[in-house]
Amino acid sequence: MLSRVANNLIWLERYMERGNGMLSLLKVNYYANQDSPELFSWEPIIRNYNASSEPFHTEDAIECIEFLVFNTGNPNSILNLVIKARENARSVQEHISRELWLSLNNYYLYLTRKDLIKKLREEDPIAFLDELKKYHLTHNGTMDITQERGPAYYFMNVGKFLERVIQISDFTEMKLIEIAKTSDSLEQSFYWKNLLLSVGGYQLYLKTHKSSFQENHVITMIFQDKLFPRSMYYCVSKLGRHINQLIEIQELEKNNTEFLLGKLESTIKYTSIESINEQGLHNFILGIKEDIRNISMSINTVYFSHSS
Amino acid sequence: MSKDHLFSSYDQLSSTWDEMYSSNSEIREQYDMIIDYLKNTSKKTLSKKEELSKQLFMSQGVTFTVYSDNEGIEKIFPFDIVPRIITAAEWDKIERGIKQRIKALNLFIKDIYNEQFIIKDGIVPADLIYSCPNYLREMKGVKVPHDVYVHIAGVDLIRNNDGEFYVLEDNLRTPSGVSYMLENREISKRLYPGILPRNNVRSVSNYPNLLYKKLQELSYNSNPNIVLLTPGIYNSAYYEHTTLARLMGIELVEGSDLVVKNHFVYMKTTNGLKQVDVIYRRVDDDFLDPLEFNAKSVLGVAGIMAAYRKGNVNIINAPGTGVADDKATYVYVPDMIKYYLGEEPILKNIKTYQLGRPDELQYVVDNIRTMVIKKTDGSGGYGMLMGHEATDEEIKDYLDNLRKKPENFIAQPILKLSTAPCYINGQLSPRCIDLRPFALSGKDGIDICPGGLTRVALKKGSLVVNSSQGGGSKDTWVIQ
Repeated sequence: MLSRVANNLIWLERYMERGNGMLSLLKVNYYANQDSPELFSWEPIIRNYNASSEPFHTEDAIECIEFLVFNTGNPNSILNLVIKARENARSVQEHISRELWLSLNNYYLYLTRKDLIKKLREEDPIAFLDELKKYHLTHNGTMDITQERGPAYYFMNVGKFLERVIQISDFTEMKLIEIAKTSDSLEQSFYWKNLLLSVGGYQLYLKTHKSSFQENHVITMIFQDKLFPRSMYYCVSKLGRHINQLIEIQELEKNNTEFLLGKLESTIKYTSIESINEQGLHNFILGIKEDIRNISMSINTVYFSHSS
Repeated sequence: MSKDHLFSSYDQLSSTWDEMYSSNSEIREQYDMIIDYLKNTSKKTLSKKEELSKQLFMSQGVTFTVYSDNEGIEKIFPFDIVPRIITAAEWDKIERGIKQRIKALNLFIKDIYNEQFIIKDGIVPADLIYSCPNYLREMKGVKVPHDVYVHIAGVDLIRNNDGEFYVLEDNLRTPSGVSYMLENREISKRLYPGILPRNNVRSVSNYPNLLYKKLQELSYNSNPNIVLLTPGIYNSAYYEHTTLARLMGIELVEGSDLVVKNHFVYMKTTNGLKQVDVIYRRVDDDFLDPLEFNAKSVLGVAGIMAAYRKGNVNIINAPGTGVADDKATYVYVPDMIKYYLGEEPILKNIKTYQLGRPDELQYVVDNIRTMVIKKTDGSGGYGMLMGHEATDEEIKDYLDNLRKKPENFIAQPILKLSTAPCYINGQLSPRCIDLRPFALSGKDGIDICPGGLTRVALKKGSLVVNSSQGGGSKDTWVIQ
């Protein structure tokens, strides 16, 4: 596969996955913010996802959603992410399934409809966000069902799970900053619950631990659960699986990617909650992020190593 | 007849061939079935179909992006829902005519880059060739596989008021539009359920397979690595490049994906360099190789021409074919057909005046209101003067500029392009059309896809069908 194509496939999924995560975050924060604006400000979300040079401040929920969905000056707005994902898909059409291209193109057309912004401003904002999320669900489902298991599929999944791992770290860190500001354990438990909702693990948590939000349980579930598809452990091992597939079919050099992944996987799996608490969750996440950065760099060398 | 009747505003242009109406205003037989269908369908339904066609182009991504204010806007190439219909007899002549022409043009290119018999025999003047900006010295003496230079041609035809098809232009470089031929048909299938089979419309869907076969034949390798080289995502024909690559199952590459080492061309893949055998390039000659042509080009590949001359890679179409589709060379094509094939041309040329000749220039100036003047190396409908609609001042400015280098201009009488019915604002109206069939040449001869791209001048009274100037397209049915 062309190195440029591999790169475009990875980023196609990174953009889509980032958009998907942002939509979840916006939805959860909207509900929480309408309940207790003093605890669930929009500021941390804007800080994390405003990649434009212009600062943006608002505590108006609709304005904030509008900014993060439609702003053309912010490279991380949903609109820009989808434009970039579509552009990547367009340039690799002979590698992805026709259905995948069509569904992504339709998402783009929906998002660029002139009257869409009115829908957000005048109608139910949750219905608006859900509608966008549906395009991501369709995207993921279409990819799963129509894409043959080969290099294109594996590279896309590398992008998807890389982004997911980064997202789990970012979401958690955002909450840790808020949690550090209060000593009220009830308020703290609100943040943990909110984190679970943002990563889509709330239901599973209830099923497992009932309605009692204990920090240790939340951390264990988000970072170490083997069955929760958005846990750090699950995503890292999926990432590893797709990377190994690529190595097996010789689309990726072995170098030290495999080693780095194995190391990260066992760190997450075998670090006890006591040991996480001892070093602090923040430091634990920093370590993971560092490893992910190295893994990402080592995949990058694939498309730079043959460039001369 | 009620005012909102489908045909109530069908005002035929004077002394113009209409594809649907005969001279005594009867519907030509080939249009019977579709007109019957249109008549029996409500205006509301037809307008819905028109809307549907637009949506289909958008949702399939059959678009080009126009960038303004840092914002990309997706545009579609306008599509008219009423098909243009060609009978089997008409098609037979077109097909034979184009095959004959391409055969002669291909022999001409081979001759020009080798022995140049046609110059020695005094048929074509030497300075015509050497002054042609598309003549490539770099191609002299290069041996090309099976002596085929023009693998893909898109010959533009128009139908004059005598009912005959005339050749307007031989596009022998990187003709575009074939994806619209394919896409328009897919849309028709959805707009008119059942009508295509009942009309015995010949299928065009085999084009990508045919093209792949021709490309494959060019390599001595039984399983060659064939790629399509695109200038990239900002090119207005990018949709076509992605479509052809997808339908042929070949890799779509950009210049930066390729590299030349020891006179072989490779693509940069995730497991190293992989040799490329055949390149269907959609990049102009001038941008193909910064070492030999435009040094600033970032669209091409350094060293690709040297690899080509060594026979290590094939480039489709061959570089330098522009020498044969130049507007100044056009004048000599009938002579070429007689010279190389010993045959009379089946398709006519349009009477063309070479303005480098003082007597012809004088004649054109005297009759300027009935003439169209074109630059010999111009395309896309730019740099033209339409004598019948220009102001006196525009004519004066144009001629002043022309007199500096008159040999760079030709003139032709303004032809009456034939008209075909178009669905416009809920009614059928006649609009001028042309036809671009696509011919594929390979070691076993020339194949032409039945039909082609019919372009329409959607502006009332306009003769310019180019998409950059308000043109659209129609599906083209060859029936029986």
